[in-house]
Amino acid sequence: MTTPVTIVMVEDDEGHARLIEKNIRRAGVNNEIIPFTSGGAALDFLLGPDGSGTVNKGNPLLVLLDLNLPDMSGVDILKRVKENEHLKRSPVVVLTTTDDAVEIQRCYDLGCNVYITKPVDYEKFAHAIRQLGLFFAVIQVPPAA
Amino acid sequence: MTFPRPRLLSSQPLLLGVGFGILILIGIAGAFLSNQARREADWIEHTLQVEQQISTLLLQVRRAESYKRGYVITMDDGFLSDYQKAANGIPPAYDRLKLLTADNPAQQQFVTELGPLLDQRLADFAEAIDAMQNNDIATAQALVRRMEGRDHTERIRELAERMTATEAGLLVDRRQAAARTSILLAAVTIGGAILIMLLGIASVFAVQRTTRQRDEAEKGLIDTNENLEKIVEERTADLQEANAEIQRFAYIVSHDLRSPLVNIMGFTAELEAWRDEALARIESLRERGAPAEDADEGDQDEGELAGEFNEAINFIKSSITKMDKLINAVLKLSREGRREFHPEPIDMAQLLDGIISTVAHQTAETGTTIAVRELPQAKSDRLALEQVFSNLIDNALKYLKDGVPGEIEITGRETPLQVIYEVKDNGRGIDPKDHERIFDLFRRAGQQDRAGEGIGLAHVRTLVRRLGGRMDVSSELGQGSVFTVTLPKYWNVRSERSAA
Repeated sequence: MTTPVTIVMVEDDEGHARLIEKNIRRAGVNNEIIPFTSGGAALDFLLGPDGSGTVNKGNPLLVLLDLNLPDMSGVDILKRVKENEHLKRSPVVVLTTTDDAVEIQRCYDLGCNVYITKPVDYEKFAHAIRQLGLFFAVIQVPPAA
Repeated sequence: MTFPRPRLLSSQPLLLGVGFGILILIGIAGAFLSNQARREADWIEHTLQVEQQISTLLLQVRRAESYKRGYVITMDDGFLSDYQKAANGIPPAYDRLKLLTADNPAQQQFVTELGPLLDQRLADFAEAIDAMQNNDIATAQALVRRMEGRDHTERIRELAERMTATEAGLLVDRRQAAARTSILLAAVTIGGAILIMLLGIASVFAVQRTTRQRDEAEKGLIDTNENLEKIVEERTADLQEANAEIQRFAYIVSHDLRSPLVNIMGFTAELEAWRDEALARIESLRERGAPAEDADEGDQDEGELAGEFNEAINFIKSSITKMDKLINAVLKLSREGRREFHPEPIDMAQLLDGIISTVAHQTAETGTTIAVRELPQAKSDRLALEQVFSNLIDNALKYLKDGVPGEIEITGRETPLQVIYEVKDNGRGIDPKDHERIFDLFRRAGQQDRAGEGIGLAHVRTLVRRLGGRMDVSSELGQGSVFTVTLPKYWNVRSERSAA
């Protein structure tokens, strides 16, 4: 891996963000995690000031996305990322509380790569995130075109 | 709805009555007048008869006289027999005339005067003929001359003329009367007909007016009905919208409640981990520096501390777990409320068999028998009905009376518009004061010795209501329960639309 994968975490709840980060680290993932608490800020980072996504050219990105954001729905971010010709190959992991079948379907239809429901039970939560971390450690992420 | 002129309605029988009255009067007057006309015709005929009789009498007298004269002149016996015939005809003709004029005193007077004159005349004739037969020609001729001299003949003619004149006068009078009567009859008939026609026209108008009023009233009624339907539709739409909003609200709220719960749960678990770490560190520090006799005491303190810590953590964790279950329940209910129904004809026996097979191990464990009687077919949403009946059967199995083998019976019947299913058990029963409560969310009744959140029946009732039906319970404590599910026989659009 020439450039290490950057994990972009879009999560409005800082507690959740912290717990997610902790458990990813516990899985031995040491990649940089850039947290965003609002959809707008995350989009600015991902697509750049001109909104074209060229700013991240050559950077391998992995997006960890919550759907319930204060300023927009995570679905919109997913759509923008998957529609962008530079970012469309970057894996997007939706990590949210919703386990609604319709919502899950919609996300996969829009090109989401993994959909994980946050379990309330912390043991399960921690386990799920650690599994995810292990998954991060092995997956191949292509650099943004 | 008020009718502006209610008297109009009663005027129709009145019109009808008046019409009948006039008809009856016309009938009576007509009968009376035609009877009178007939009598007048009789009288006219009578007059004509009298006139004819007078001329008949006169004719007879003249014939008798001329035959007598002929005999006297020719002495021919042929004339004599003709004379006899004519003379014999005079008295009956006179009698008939007398009879005919019996009603008229004036004519009677003439007739009375006429009688002796005729007798005299006949006597004279007879005398003359006798004289001739005795060949006493001179006497006969004298007699004839004397007879001619007398004014008998003249008088008879005069009387006859006067009688004829009287009858002619009567005839004129009677003809006039008859004409009057017939004019009257015509007038009564025509007048009556006109009156009836007028009444007919009046009643046609009255009927038209009533019809118009009725039509207006009917139209008003239809308008009101349509309005009512529209109002009901609007209200239903409002209610459905409100319901949908509540469901969206519940969904959003429960989602947002879940999020902080993840943090509470997560950091509690982290705390637990840190506690273990902290205790381990204290342990190692103490092992390094503390005197031996204090170690036991310290261990005790730490044990107590760890116990309290665990207690607190466990309370927090169990509360969070409970909270999570409640939120999940709300989510499930609101999700059920959003699900769209797909009505189809459902073989209830088959559906219940499916449910019963999933609870087979519970029935075997508790020795419960489940009997499914003959059930009417339902047209409804299969999944919803499965949930309803599996909840009801689960409940029946869950709340059996201790030490009594369960008996669950499912029966059904149908009415013209509904299908009704009953799930009956011999379990512990429900106090009547709790009958409403058991359908409330998170509420339960009776002894709380079974696991559960108080969601099942709330869920069942919500589902049944959305299916357009009704959920009822009848039960006494210790007497078992009967849960009744009433569903519409025909799936109606309204309840389908409420799923949207």
